[in-house]
Amino acid sequence: MLWRGLENEPSLFVFSFKSMSVMSKDDSKMDSVKYGLLKLIDVSGFKVFDPVVRLCFREEPGKQVGEIVRYMVIPIIFVAFCIGAWAVIAPRHKTKAGRVPDPSQVLSALSVNHTLHVRENEKEADFNALDSRREDRIASVEVTLKEKETEEVELKKKLAEVEVACQAEIDQRLAPLNARLEKLRTSHKEAADARKSEIVTLSEKVVAETAAEDELTALMASDVKLKDEAKEKEKRVKELIEDVKSNPPKNLKRTQLAYNGLAIEIAHLKKRLDYLGKSNRGEKVAVAKADLAKKEEKLKAADEPAGLLAAAKSVVRSEEKVDRIASQSYPRGTTIWFQVWRSLFTVFIGFIMAALVAIPFGIMCGLNRVVMACLTPIISIFKPVSPVVWLLIFQIVVGAFFPNPETHPFFVMMSNIPWVSSLKVNPAMVYSACTVAMCAVWPALVNTALGVSSIDQDHLNVAKVLKLGLWQRLVKIVIPSSLPLVFAGLRISLGVGWMVLIAAEALSGSEGLGKYVWDQYQNGGSMSFANIIFACFVVGIIGFFLDRMMIILQRSVSFDDGAAVV
Amino acid sequence: MSEFAMEIDNVDVGFGPPSQRVEVLDKINLKVKPNEFVAIIGFSGSGKSTLMNLLAGIQPASTGGVFMDGQLVTEPGPERGILFQNYSLLPWLSVYGNIELAVKTVFPEMTAPERKEYIQGYIDMVSLTGSEWKKPSELSGGMRQRLSLARTLSMKPGVLLLDEPLSALDALTRANLQDEIIRIWEEDRRTVIMITNDVDEAVLMADRIVALTPGPKATLGKSFDVELERPRDRTTLNFNREFIELRNTVTKYMVGINEEAKALRTGANLPLPDLMPIDFLSVGNQPRKVVLEDEEPSSESTVTQDKPELVGVGVGNE
Repeated sequence: MLWRGLENEPSLFVFSFKSMSVMSKDDSKMDSVKYGLLKLIDVSGFKVFDPVVRLCFREEPGKQVGEIVRYMVIPIIFVAFCIGAWAVIAPRHKTKAGRVPDPSQVLSALSVNHTLHVRENEKEADFNALDSRREDRIASVEVTLKEKETEEVELKKKLAEVEVACQAEIDQRLAPLNARLEKLRTSHKEAADARKSEIVTLSEKVVAETAAEDELTALMASDVKLKDEAKEKEKRVKELIEDVKSNPPKNLKRTQLAYNGLAIEIAHLKKRLDYLGKSNRGEKVAVAKADLAKKEEKLKAADEPAGLLAAAKSVVRSEEKVDRIASQSYPRGTTIWFQVWRSLFTVFIGFIMAALVAIPFGIMCGLNRVVMACLTPIISIFKPVSPVVWLLIFQIVVGAFFPNPETHPFFVMMSNIPWVSSLKVNPAMVYSACTVAMCAVWPALVNTALGVSSIDQDHLNVAKVLKLGLWQRLVKIVIPSSLPLVFAGLRISLGVGWMVLIAAEALSGSEGLGKYVWDQYQNGGSMSFANIIFACFVVGIIGFFLDRMMIILQRSVSFDDGAAVV
Repeated sequence: MSEFAMEIDNVDVGFGPPSQRVEVLDKINLKVKPNEFVAIIGFSGSGKSTLMNLLAGIQPASTGGVFMDGQLVTEPGPERGILFQNYSLLPWLSVYGNIELAVKTVFPEMTAPERKEYIQGYIDMVSLTGSEWKKPSELSGGMRQRLSLARTLSMKPGVLLLDEPLSALDALTRANLQDEIIRIWEEDRRTVIMITNDVDEAVLMADRIVALTPGPKATLGKSFDVELERPRDRTTLNFNREFIELRNTVTKYMVGINEEAKALRTGANLPLPDLMPIDFLSVGNQPRKVVLEDEEPSSESTVTQDKPELVGVGVGNE
């Protein structure tokens, strides 16, 4: 018994020791994951999520929950409150473009815009589909089309039912209003007739010289005034009637919207069938080739010289046509995500241009006080100039470089770069990018100059003791030590650039978010206002992520922690 | 070739335009023999750092000149390695990178593997092995100064200039680094000029101690030879008569010249009027309190009496 007990003990001990070591290994692994995550959060500036991660690893749960409540839950409640306030207040404000859209309308703008984008993609794929893929697609589209069409029939029936049901409700609501209007009209009519006869009798008196002329004019004036008042009253009632008519019961409205959506989808599916059939590129090429074959036969059959010449000419033309059709691409409509990409591309081009100018000049300014003195007046005068002015100047000055943009080597080159060609670089984009560069150059320039001129004297002493040459001093000491401030400047520049870009695009008509907003403002559709507000959120969210990206860059180059303020 | 490794010959240093010129150093003369360890000891504000910049060549002399091996020093260079008080490390470079920058510029002919080994040698020498890829911000003060020392030594300077290298460190780290510097110096002897404000440190480390009188117009005072045998052990040294005597002598001398300077300085001061602070409790508040509590009218009359006196105390000197 004793032996057995002794025998068992060491094994128990070994087991527990083993499990302990395994646990500690796991713990250290967990810790490294945890600290890695925390560092990532810290570097990217999302400090708010710090307690969430800590809570997941069960570190002081009470404290973390407190932090989450204070810095996440309360802010979320606040934002929810703001959205609620928006939802309540917005529909109460009537504008020329209808009521101010509420959050749900803006959210639906997102889905509408996204659907538009998806459908363009589908149509493009259809246009380019060949052979068996094309046939597969035709089959699947036909199946869905059939489904949708049966659905449509049902929905139409339902809509008619709902319309009938709602008509009663609408009539019920309209009846008192109509009655009121009718009453008003008759009473006004009666009053007007009474006044008219009064005027007639008075005018007769005036003719008979038993009454003064000013009495008559006074009466006329009061008549006009009363008429206007009556009109105003009628108008108010009419407005109420319009309001009832334009705001059908929610049930009807929903059914109408669903029906419209379905109708649009069916139209889209039909369009797809067209792109898969007659308008498909492969189909078109095949037709052109058949035509070419016919022409070639004709050429072979021709025997007299004049006919031969004409046949040869038409063969050449047909060949050209085949080539042209084969190289055609789908004429995409602009969609929101395309606009986003184009805006991002433009802002980066502008930003890079700004950085390429700002950093060298900033370094020169920081190193040499004469250069600083030379550039100071230029910086001070041009820094406050509005982007709109720059855009107009660039349209004239830069526009002079390419009078024929289609054939200009720069644009030809741009249309041959794979990804860039899809963004359709055009002069308007160049102007926008130049405007962005012009406005974004100043913060980067000023900050670089500051960073270079405020180098620690100790670091310069090191350079002196090591007898570093100018270039070495620049590369090894000056630039690294000023990098945090340079990046702080670049961060401001990118923010300014993004803000300027939207205005520049709206004004120059360069496809992008700015132009999207402008177009929506101009076309005044039922969704326009919601789309504008939706675009406002898109611009804001992208701006936020651009800023975060710059913070990460800035953090990664700064050697003294905390140089970047979030 | 001069017989002195480093020589300061009748140097004055002053700043500012002639109308309000401040003479910081005045007629400095110092001769340092090869491989000698000289400590210059002075009070803060006496121009120690100016003297060090002068030796390094960062600060030019107004008159006179500094010579190294008989050559006039006109600009800083790696042959006079300087160890700055605030380390002067480049914060964006690692431990290895900081030394590498110095080695690459001073010994451009070194091949890459040679250089790697050479740098590693210096990192090991100052016991920073294992911290090669840390940034200075991740190091403690003592480690930073060690790195700075390694960087300076890696340039193989003929003369090592230590500018209060340990004054920013805590006492324990300080003692540790003193030993380290001495150990390295004894392994690889060279001329060292150290500036310090710590008499113990000077006595422990140096062959000769030179006093710098308090500024302005600081100049070098008496020189004390330290003839304690090396290696010096700080634990036994505290009981060494010679050490204690020398320390006391130097301290007494330093205190003496400081008082002398103070006496000189106060002599130049303008006599100020002897102002007494007003005792608001007895003058200002009491009568008012009396008024509030509504006592006899006689105490109210004291208020009116006190008022002119109040003004008198403020201006006069009694």
